[in-house]
Amino acid sequence: MFQNRAEAFALVLPAAVFAGVTFLVPVVVLLSEGFRGADGWTIQAYIDFFSHPLNRTVFVRTLKLAAMVTAVAAVIGYAAAFAIVNLPPKGKGRMIGLVVLPLMISPVARTYAWIVILGRTGIVNQALTSIGLSDEPIRFLFTETAVFIGLLQLFLPLMIISLVSALENMPRDAVPAARVLGANWFQVFWKVILPLTREGLVIGGTLVFTGSMTAYITPAILGGSKVLMLETLLYQRVTVANDFVAASVIALILIVMAFAANLLLKRLATARNKR
Amino acid sequence: MSRLYTPTILGLVLLFLIGPFVIIIAASLSAGETLAFPPDGLSLRWVIKVFEVESFRTSFGISMFLAIGGTLAALVLGIPAAYALARYKVPFGETIRTVVSAPIIVPGIIVGLALLRYLVVPFQFGILPALFLAHTALILPYAVRVVSASLNNLRGDIEEAAVLLGSSRTGAFFRVVMPNIRGGILAAFILGFVTSFNQVPVSLFLSGPGVRTLPIDMLAYMEITYDPSVAALSALLAFMSLGIVFLAERFLGFSRYV
Amino acid sequence: MSDSRYLSLEKLTLSYGNTIAVGDMNLDIGKGELVALLGPSGCGKTTTMRAIAGLLQPTSGTIRLDGVDVTRVSANKRAVGLVFQSYALFPHLNVFENVAFGLRLKGIRGRDLENRVEGGLKTVGLSDFASRKPAELSGGQQQRVSLARSMVMEPKVLLLDEPLSNLDARLRLEMRAELQRVQKQSGITMIFVTHDQVEALALADRIIVMLNGAIEQIGTPEEIYNHPVSPFVADFVGFENVFALENGKMKTTAGMADLSSDAPGGAVGLAWRPSMVALGSGPYQGTVRGSSFAGGTREYLLDTPLGPIKAETDASLAAHEFGAVLNFDLPVAKAAQLSRLG
Repeated sequence: MFQNRAEAFALVLPAAVFAGVTFLVPVVVLLSEGFRGADGWTIQAYIDFFSHPLNRTVFVRTLKLAAMVTAVAAVIGYAAAFAIVNLPPKGKGRMIGLVVLPLMISPVARTYAWIVILGRTGIVNQALTSIGLSDEPIRFLFTETAVFIGLLQLFLPLMIISLVSALENMPRDAVPAARVLGANWFQVFWKVILPLTREGLVIGGTLVFTGSMTAYITPAILGGSKVLMLETLLYQRVTVANDFVAASVIALILIVMAFAANLLLKRLATARNKR
Repeated sequence: MSRLYTPTILGLVLLFLIGPFVIIIAASLSAGETLAFPPDGLSLRWVIKVFEVESFRTSFGISMFLAIGGTLAALVLGIPAAYALARYKVPFGETIRTVVSAPIIVPGIIVGLALLRYLVVPFQFGILPALFLAHTALILPYAVRVVSASLNNLRGDIEEAAVLLGSSRTGAFFRVVMPNIRGGILAAFILGFVTSFNQVPVSLFLSGPGVRTLPIDMLAYMEITYDPSVAALSALLAFMSLGIVFLAERFLGFSRYV
Repeated sequence: MSDSRYLSLEKLTLSYGNTIAVGDMNLDIGKGELVALLGPSGCGKTTTMRAIAGLLQPTSGTIRLDGVDVTRVSANKRAVGLVFQSYALFPHLNVFENVAFGLRLKGIRGRDLENRVEGGLKTVGLSDFASRKPAELSGGQQQRVSLARSMVMEPKVLLLDEPLSNLDARLRLEMRAELQRVQKQSGITMIFVTHDQVEALALADRIIVMLNGAIEQIGTPEEIYNHPVSPFVADFVGFENVFALENGKMKTTAGMADLSSDAPGGAVGLAWRPSMVALGSGPYQGTVRGSSFAGGTREYLLDTPLGPIKAETDASLAAHEFGAVLNFDLPVAKAAQLSRLG
């Protein structure tokens, strides 16, 4: 550790100033717009926003979809992470590589694939009609289901890798010890594995939840104007109505929800552990 | 646990995560007019079409410029900051770390909107420079984080050793620190490049006549037509990302750094 | 300047905020000496070493080296070498380039450079390893490269931070001999920092025992080992039964106790090694609370009116059982006489 404070300051200053000027200040000013009234500060914009039924629907839908994606990702994530950590080292490395791979690919491309699969003439509809389960194509696109599937595919890898590293950092003998002491698999998971991997679950959960909540591409492509989420609503308010106040309100909601999700998940994980 | 558990669950997960790309590749090789799977015959016509669309070419260039330039700028800002945060007792160190990594927490769409509203509109600031600033700010957290991680893996006493052997402090950084964090810097570059290149929300509001990033251009194109050229472009981009990741993994064990 | 004051610390003080790491320390070290800075962690020995190297700036006081005040001279111009505890080899450079690093910065090139690097590697017996990378060397070899890297710079003082602590027992013996040989051959002034009294006793010409940022005792290994001056040093070198004296009596947890013979004049405390405790007869009684076999000896923990007493007998003698009540003596003639209690 070096002592020279002036040197330290000179090294961090450019980055800090840059992030402050190009990022922090504009964002803070934008957020403040939502509280500005004709005469002084007010929360009227927030009251207006939530008094509008469409906005409420979008808000609830965003939370619901993000929570569902997080929950399902956690279940699949544990199942997959168990399988991965039990692989031999070489296979494990490859498998992690394959899971991470989609993260490197353009989300536009990733989401676009679902149009091919879920579209009117997509694979799913072809399969359904050919085996006679349905007479005419079922509408999948522009439904919450489509958005849910798209988000899950987008963010599942984040959950899996968080849980894999949590499981790998778990004390090696914890599970055998619990088994020897007479715990069944359900108890082992609930009393041993879950508490010991809670940090990974919190990290993965926060990533998936905030990612889903602030996703733009997936609801834009797979939901369209029928299934608006907060980000697509924000975009629409600005482009259609030039409504920057609503944009500011949505922006703050998104940021607050992201932090709240992180806190809540932390709380849930610790509460579970204390019992 | 059953012997079938591992292959079944991993097979299903991979099918879900990677299967769509196989379909997209197949769909992009279609000879027909519309998006379909299985494709109506095989041809490269949609792949060729991608290269003929003027706006794709322009926006590809812009995205490349932002991804490479923005990442380099972020590294120039981020490496000294990461170094100071790792090796010095920085006054307000935690606050600075939070400020620098804030762009990762705040939704990108807000960053783009804020820059549009307070920089581009009032000051007649160009769209392209604004995009450049936004992408740099977006990559900065990754640059700081990845470089910090490789600095933390490097013992701090080698700089002291270099100084005691007669090197200046700056000399010690370039002689013994840089050569040992090269891998981390390259990893940060790749991560930053991929993040910037694939970024949509930040660029959403920052687009103007003739200035658009490739993903935004793809979204715009899709609003007009669902022809398989977007599938072809998606497939090409997927291959580009795969190529980069493969090379990175091959030559420096990329996954160690992420 | 004389050779006995080659390196002197005058009223050296280093503090961080309100904590004083080293306070008002005075110390002279002679040219060619091999000195140990000995003490538990947090005693200020590492801080002192880093101040001598120039890696820490003293709050006040002066450091003089070879007649020159170097207090404000920066670390890269001080001609002080340091062998780090972790060796601090440059991972991207091979052994040759590690050793050549400082010489190149001095502008030494070509044949001259090669000769000096090869000379350095030969001194530490690593001539055949010049092209290896640090990661391909064992801990002991890395340490020797680190030693050679500092030695080729011909520093006025060479500092070594816990030089033996990362080595296994066998290598430690080897390295100890190696360090002594290199030091005697080159005549370089060496100061090493250690928390291990065995290391200090075995290696140093002179030992400086530190506690709480100050010097507790300075002396030859024999002096430190046989004549500790304070309870701390006594305990540190194995006098595990320490008592303060007051009016010719021992102060114990249960009040004052008589000595078995007259107290020596001038001593304010007495200390006995476990082996000095005479078991079997004497004016005191104790109950065996624990016993353990330690090869040549057997160690006992006795519960006595004086407090717990550690004793030791030859292992060939019959063992005393747990709970047995024994008479014992603390022979005053054998005890170390402490001159300070603080």
